[in-house]
Amino acid sequence: MAELFHTTVRVFFRKEGRIKYISHLDIVRCVSRALKRSKLPVWHTLGFNPHIYITFALPLALGYESTCESMDFRLTEELPMETVVSRLNEVFPEGLTAYAAAPAVQKPEEIAWADYEITQEFDRFDGDEVAAALEKWCGRSEIPVRKKGKKGERVIDAAPHFQIQKVEAQGNSLHFDMRAAAGSTLNINPTLLLDAFAEETGFRADWMRVVRTAILTKKLKNFK
Amino acid sequence: MYKLRNVKKDLERVLLQVQKPARYTGGEIGSIVKDASKVDVRFAFCFPDVYEVGMSHLGMKILYAMQNAREDCWCERVFAPDADMEAIMREKGIPLYGLESLDAIADFDIIGFTLQYEMSFTAILNMLDLAGLDIHAANRKNLWPIVVAGGPCACNPEPIADFIDLFLLGEGEELNLELIDLYKSCKLAGESKASFLRKAAQIEGVYVPSLYEVSYHDDGTIRSVLPKDGAPGVVHKRIVKDLDKVFYPEQFVVPFTQAVHDRAMVEVLRGCIRGCRFCQAGFIYRPFREKHGDTVNKNAKALCDNTGYDEVSLTSLSTSDFSELEPLLNEMLAWTEPDAVNIALPSLRVDNFSKELMERVAAVRKSSLTFAPEAGTQRMRDVINKNVTEEEVLHTCQTAFEGGYTSVKLYFMLGLPTEQDEDVAGIIHLAQKVVDLFYHLPNKPKGKGVNVTVSVACFVPKPFTPFEFEPQDTMEELNRKQKILLETVSSKKISVKYHDSPTSFLEAALARGDRRMCPLVEYAWQAGSKLDGWNDYFRAERWYEGAKACGLDLAFYANRRRAYDEVMPWDHLDYGVSKAFLIRENQLAHRDTTTPNCRQKCAGCGANGLLGRACFG
Ligand code: SF4
Repeated sequence: MAELFHTTVRVFFRKEGRIKYISHLDIVRCVSRALKRSKLPVWHTLGFNPHIYITFALPLALGYESTCESMDFRLTEELPMETVVSRLNEVFPEGLTAYAAAPAVQKPEEIAWADYEITQEFDRFDGDEVAAALEKWCGRSEIPVRKKGKKGERVIDAAPHFQIQKVEAQGNSLHFDMRAAAGSTLNINPTLLLDAFAEETGFRADWMRVVRTAILTKKLKNFK
Repeated sequence: MYKLRNVKKDLERVLLQVQKPARYTGGEIGSIVKDASKVDVRFAFCFPDVYEVGMSHLGMKILYAMQNAREDCWCERVFAPDADMEAIMREKGIPLYGLESLDAIADFDIIGFTLQYEMSFTAILNMLDLAGLDIHAANRKNLWPIVVAGGPCACNPEPIADFIDLFLLGEGEELNLELIDLYKSCKLAGESKASFLRKAAQIEGVYVPSLYEVSYHDDGTIRSVLPKDGAPGVVHKRIVKDLDKVFYPEQFVVPFTQAVHDRAMVEVLRGCIRGCRFCQAGFIYRPFREKHGDTVNKNAKALCDNTGYDEVSLTSLSTSDFSELEPLLNEMLAWTEPDAVNIALPSLRVDNFSKELMERVAAVRKSSLTFAPEAGTQRMRDVINKNVTEEEVLHTCQTAFEGGYTSVKLYFMLGLPTEQDEDVAGIIHLAQKVVDLFYHLPNKPKGKGVNVTVSVACFVPKPFTPFEFEPQDTMEELNRKQKILLETVSSKKISVKYHDSPTSFLEAALARGDRRMCPLVEYAWQAGSKLDGWNDYFRAERWYEGAKACGLDLAFYANRRRAYDEVMPWDHLDYGVSKAFLIRENQLAHRDTTTPNCRQKCAGCGANGLLGRACFG
């Protein structure tokens, strides 16, 4: 067992399709098994029950897809980063695709924002009608929402912590982009906002697709 | 050629509303997706329990991989949805589907169930119904889907004979392939279901219940079971003679969400040499056959490489009896240690090994040691032929305590044939000796107390065991004995856990039931039974009401002693073990006399006939 580790690599990957129903915890286990299958020289923890050590920058909510996930692990030998990507893709399950790997630059604490693409479908409402209501709801100067935290539920003002853009209605569906606070200090999930919106207005989607498209630092640069 | 209803879109709308949606999506590593237009036979392998339980089952993994190794067949997995998912499926009209294609299974060619325990019978009806099929075999007129079932409970499948088209007896590897071949040729020739079933009955190991007529005596016992349309008078189970040559998967489907047993598993042997008289598995899986250590090692390595599991278990009814265990472990450790893979040895007797070796395998890493003396007194253990002495129990516990364990779990059965109150109290006396042993050890773990858990199950007499003739204790009697247990406990270090007696009573009735029970199973399902293996969902009342409505006396099945010459509902099925042997063993039990294990001396059970040679030597 190697005592030393060489580099911490950050692998960027997409999570798309039915694998969105796999919870974060299950993905962690799945990826550590994939690493085992890949036979990449991955660092294991020491001790009685050695295991692969992986961390994820920003866990993705159950049901969300993403084109910008990242995870970190340590290699015990130097390897071309393309090899890491291709070896992972050989062993990843359907729906997970690695597209880049590089030595980790920033700390996950530097994450401040995330971008999402959201599609909602309504069985009983017209897209235009919901679009108008949503823009109005988001345009208020204060947007109180109930958020569950470690210390129980509290009401926060979400207004400074998100914005929506490019709202487009088509038939009974609605499409828009959202940027929302992300990271360990304050994480605002699109579902939290859309649930609050639905509760107040009655416009609850019968189907929804959320794709995380970017993870950003305070300076609105891509997390690297 | 296949255009089945696909449920992918429907699932999209509901999956976030249910607990653990990972159970319903498929797409796991190792799952096999084929082009439906290029296969001739689509097979739905159904496990009548929830995903986590079914995905732990080795037999399913073997047959899944083996069938999918055929180019002309696509085998998919299907599990029982949990209550929340079922409610949504029924509300939205989503039919039961295969996890690989997400196609509805109602139009598959073959739907196969595995019968692991009696209480899952109603889950089968529920799954057929969720698929959109008629639960009665006679009302399903088409060649497809043919509904088949195998597994241990197929040794007396009579309580579900009305619902299943054919049963597969014994080991499935060769049998399933022969069945698929026949099905394929009948399908291509456009033959009827009736004609297919008649031909299937000619395959050794296939039991088509509709081709047998059962008549009864006035006292309710069976008069005769007569075959028709050329079906054989006795159906013999199948075995695989050479375990080194039989198919073994190199890849498992690796679940995303944690299964009960979530690891690589390699089967090391089949059958059991021990002959414990209460244990059905010990008889229906005879004769004893082993793999070679090399084969096991190869299987284990391939599985770990392909699945990425960090634990591999060597499984069988009794892995201690594997003759090459120590050399095998040494061979395996050579690659498992550098790869950070644990070796798990379930059901292992700790005292057989060198300490050094034990420390390197996972068996010693658990926080609690389990051991199954099964009965509290030596006389009682002789009756059931459990060849464990009190000394061995205490020796094992001592080894464990010296190794740092402070918690021991002992398994027993209550209501065994010939059991006296002193045998019941003996269970607690044995547990007390374990407690005393701990406190008298000079080198016991410091500063810690000991914890002995006594887990007591109610004895259920099973077909093809020497106790198939025995009455089960009534529930009143079992409850009385449970009180004795509790009253005998005088130490706070002993805790007693016992299983629910109504479940055991129903198990006993179903295990030795006949065809007249089919309406009862249907009634219980209609009344709401669907995952009765789970205490949360189980209601005994549904079965009691059902028995009343169907005019059945459950005590007739559970609590009645059978004469040696009574025709049993399963007498036309042959598992290699002769009834004459079972009678002999029953008589020995009543004389408190043990039978040596198969390695010491052949007891002449007849199972060697399946091999065509002596089992050993
Ligand atoms: S034939 Fe003899 S050795 Fe073989 S299983 Fe039966 S009793 Fe055991």
